[in-house]
Amino acid sequence: MEEKQAKKEKVTWKGWISLLFLIVSFSGLCAGQENFLKAFDLNSLIGQFGHAEGAKVALQGAGGAGAREGFVVALTLIPTIMLAQGLIEVCENMGALHAAEKLFHPLLHPLMGIPGVTGLAFVSSFTSSDVGAFMTKDMYEAGMINDDERTIFAAYQYAGSAVVSNTIAAGAPLVPIAVVPVGAVIGMIFVVKVMGANIIRFYLKYYHRKHGAEGEAA
Amino acid sequence: MAEEKKEEKKLSVPEYFMRGAKKGFYIGVELIAPAMVMAYALIAFLQYAGVMPLIGKALGPIMGLFSLPGEASVVLLAAFFAKAAGAAAAASLYTAGTITAAQATILFPACITMGTLIGHFARVVLVCKVRALYYPILLVTPLIDAVVVMLMMRFALMAMGIE
Repeated sequence: MEEKQAKKEKVTWKGWISLLFLIVSFSGLCAGQENFLKAFDLNSLIGQFGHAEGAKVALQGAGGAGAREGFVVALTLIPTIMLAQGLIEVCENMGALHAAEKLFHPLLHPLMGIPGVTGLAFVSSFTSSDVGAFMTKDMYEAGMINDDERTIFAAYQYAGSAVVSNTIAAGAPLVPIAVVPVGAVIGMIFVVKVMGANIIRFYLKYYHRKHGAEGEAA
Repeated sequence: MAEEKKEEKKLSVPEYFMRGAKKGFYIGVELIAPAMVMAYALIAFLQYAGVMPLIGKALGPIMGLFSLPGEASVVLLAAFFAKAAGAAAAASLYTAGTITAAQATILFPACITMGTLIGHFARVVLVCKVRALYYPILLVTPLIDAVVVMLMMRFALMAMGIE
């Protein structure tokens, strides 16, 4: 059923463009540009606070500590999260996830040994921890994936779950400090998520060789 | 009824943006601000109570593998409970001058990867209904991932010439 649904959703040019926009702006590809490309960089769009005359650090000042400092820093982060979440919401609704699904569909089997049916759950898990998990359970119950595939896929989703929204939201305090663009951080987490899924994949292979066939009850 | 559903689905682009931005505002108020207040106060407590240097000394050798000071282990400990708390603790250590921006960058992906380990175990692994037999290895995997991602980031920064 999931597969049928996924196939019915046509990927529009809007979907591709919004996916491209998300990848370009979050990856910092256009960072440091002084021409029109500046418009496509998340950090440029986040902008900066104005400085009081003579002040060196905007808004939070310098030399703060403790709860007060934490609160003020949190306030300075709110525009960042608002902008990022706003862009993600727009791009999701323009079909960026469907475009991503089309992109990843043929890669899932070689990448993690899970079938292409999981594509929709896979891309949903970029921005939501729960949707992907529910879909995984449903796909297993509908017989679309087997127990091993479910376990591998759960391992992928578990580490840093909802990697895009968590890096932007929970990681917000580190976004302005990090010396690499937030897209690079997301990219690296994605790589180790896939690696973790493969650890489980090989563990299961080893486990079955040792304990015999799969159906063995727990 | 179908119409109602459709109406809920069809928003204009500015409306979608504003809905997302509003969500972002609440994330800031409900998640980031409490996490930041807790982490900054906790780091201040550990510093004033004199515990920080002890942690630094005890865990210095291990954290040194990632070119991090021992104090940075507090970040990973906080992240274990909640990703946002880990990230906030790292920001606080950076503000206090205990870690550099590059070291905060090394901690960043680890905070997310192994963050909220128990909470997300429930939300992902339990919801997927993975067989209980695989629980232990699934719990450990994000920790391995975090170690690898810190090394990856460390070497990436080294390659870029950032220390």
